[in-house]
Amino acid sequence: MTFQTHDARILEVKELTSREKLFTLRFVDPELNRSFKYKPGQFVIVDIRGFGEFPISLCSTPTREGYFQLCVRRVGRMTKYMHKLKEGDIVGIRGPYGNGFPMEKMEGSTLVLVAGGLGMAPLRSVLWYALDTGKYEKIYLFYGTKAYEDILFRDEVIHLLKHGEDMNCHVKLAYEVETPSCIYLEKGYSPRVCKGVVTDLFRGETFDVENTYALICGPPVMYKYVIKELLDRKLSPGRIYMTLERRMRCGVGKCGHCIVGTSTSIKYVCKDGPVFTYWDALSTRGLI
Amino acid sequence: MYAPVKKGNIYSFQHVEKPSEIAFDYTRTMLPPKKFFVRPKDEMLRLKGGKWEESNGVEPIVLFGVHSCDIHGLEILDKVYLDEPVDPYYKKRRENSIIIGMSCMPDEYCFCKSLGTDFAMHGFDLFLHELPDGWLVRVGSVKGHEIAWENEELFEELTEEDMRNFREFEEKRANSFKKHLNKEGLEDMLDLAFNSPVWKKYEKICLGCGNCNMVCPTCRCYEVCDLWMNAYEAVRVRRYDSCFMESHGLVAGGHNFRPTRLDRFRHRYYCKSYFDPSAGFNCVGCGRCDEFCPAKIEHVKVLDEVREGLQ
Ligand SMILES: Cc1cc2nc3c(=O)[nH]c(=O)nc-3n(C[C@H](O)[C@H](O)[C@H](O)COP(=O)(O)OP(=O)(O)OC[C@H]3O[C@@H](n4cnc5c(N)ncnc54)[C@H](O)[C@@H]3O)c2cc1C
Ligand code: SF4
Ligand code: SF4
Ligand code: FES
Repeated sequence: MTFQTHDARILEVKELTSREKLFTLRFVDPELNRSFKYKPGQFVIVDIRGFGEFPISLCSTPTREGYFQLCVRRVGRMTKYMHKLKEGDIVGIRGPYGNGFPMEKMEGSTLVLVAGGLGMAPLRSVLWYALDTGKYEKIYLFYGTKAYEDILFRDEVIHLLKHGEDMNCHVKLAYEVETPSCIYLEKGYSPRVCKGVVTDLFRGETFDVENTYALICGPPVMYKYVIKELLDRKLSPGRIYMTLERRMRCGVGKCGHCIVGTSTSIKYVCKDGPVFTYWDALSTRGLI
Repeated sequence: MYAPVKKGNIYSFQHVEKPSEIAFDYTRTMLPPKKFFVRPKDEMLRLKGGKWEESNGVEPIVLFGVHSCDIHGLEILDKVYLDEPVDPYYKKRRENSIIIGMSCMPDEYCFCKSLGTDFAMHGFDLFLHELPDGWLVRVGSVKGHEIAWENEELFEELTEEDMRNFREFEEKRANSFKKHLNKEGLEDMLDLAFNSPVWKKYEKICLGCGNCNMVCPTCRCYEVCDLWMNAYEAVRVRRYDSCFMESHGLVAGGHNFRPTRLDRFRHRYYCKSYFDPSAGFNCVGCGRCDEFCPAKIEHVKVLDEVREGLQ
């Protein structure tokens, strides 16, 4: 049934920051666990029975089977409840929903991942997928964060700062709040770590526009500025992918909350997206 | 069986027992027949012993006296709710209903003729057209055929005169429309008029009450919430939502994708005037949003003014 959710057990809860926790889950039904396939950029709807549902991006990669991960920021009623859950607890899951990033189409190309804050969650799925499959020419990760304490998946990001080059993965980090930890990081990895916003990381970078795709996820204000940097470097609108957020209730194109656009073009972020190209944004008003 | 019944000054689809209760000459009900398929408040799932169970089954119903525009409205809802993945609640109720259409005369609010929704070719089981001495019945489905077959004694052969009367009625009806929507290039026109001052003018008049959404036969946004019945039982309920509500586009962190009344007012017109090549416009011209708008905002007038503003 369309709105029935399936039991998934929490295998592990990890505190990433003071606001975000990483949940590792597995379906109770082993058959479902085997058949659960998803793409980077897709999301699921989490059901806390008797309390409600909310959409969350899958932040693990389909290349690692047997479990999946959700990175949840505590912002309100449902996510607060989620944060109280412990290892062994059960939640309901339906999905995966949405279109996801076209990973196969981008094979052989360079990927420029641009993440702002929580935008790191869906892009981590892309990053791991690309590293696991090894099918991409080069991977850039430009990550803008408020402070050192807010860096999501900090161990992984710092590991890639150190060793990424060996895997053709180039990580750059921009932070806004100066704390000793950031200054220390900047000392070690300047100019790849700097004080500023995510667009500052584009300085001095050029891309082979024929063979590059950009993938963006971050807060709504970020898109305009990042897209400008990419267009300035002559990347075509069809090579710029972004994943968007809207209020969602059904996730399958019924409840109407995520509708964007005007009389000439209406899109549902939940089923036509959440991944859109900049072309879509140009032809659909209100997308970004 | 549900049919239009007069209650005070308004009509509404109500349970009826005998023909005398039915308002055969009604104009429009306040809530369209969508209320039988997408309920204003509707239980989806029931939590028992930690597991969700599908909520109870549906009762078969007959909807009698549905006007053509509302039949078109249901077909637009079908596009959304029966499209994959199918909405199970809607589907079950649709399958368990018999729709009997009935001809009507337009009042000052109707503009279905402009949208081509003034005549239904499908989407009903039987359609009754008023004649001076009875009804001309069109059959629109297998179910409709079965009903006609089983009740053969109620039907007579169609005569030349019946056809003449039918044509006369339709002609008179076609000439009775007082409101016309210019739909020529409507969707492109609106797209160009995004910054029209007309939106700003109406933003100030509109009360943001959302009535126009509630009464519209094609509006179908819903909100979901879980409610506890007692310590062990909860239900998941959905209810009508309106794009005029501030919470409609609100997401985490307090960011709102349609923060102002202006954004929300304009959004409704864009959504209603969206043209789907396979289903037409999202408005069927029933006139409900005009009749039940406390600020007396007129749908066609707004669109006309926006168009004029462009020239
Ligand atoms: C496709 C998609 C992917 C997402 N991925 C992630 C993710 O990976 N990690 C993460 O932490 N968050 C993600 N979110 C956001 C997450 O859904 C919201 O933070 C969550 O729904 C808030 O619920 P709440 O009950 O805690 O907040 P509430 O108490 O309901 O409200 C807090 C705020 O969240 C808004 N909100 C409520 N419901 C939704 C909703 N369904 N969608 C968006 N905003 C809502 C409210 O309007 C309010 O501003 C994603 C959202 C979408 C649409
Ligand atoms: S927009 Fe108004 S006239 Fe059009 S279908 Fe909805 S209620 Fe009827
Ligand atoms: S019914 Fe009228 S006043 Fe109320 S929201 Fe609609 S247009 Fe505005
Ligand atoms: S989330 Fe319900 S229509 Fe997209």
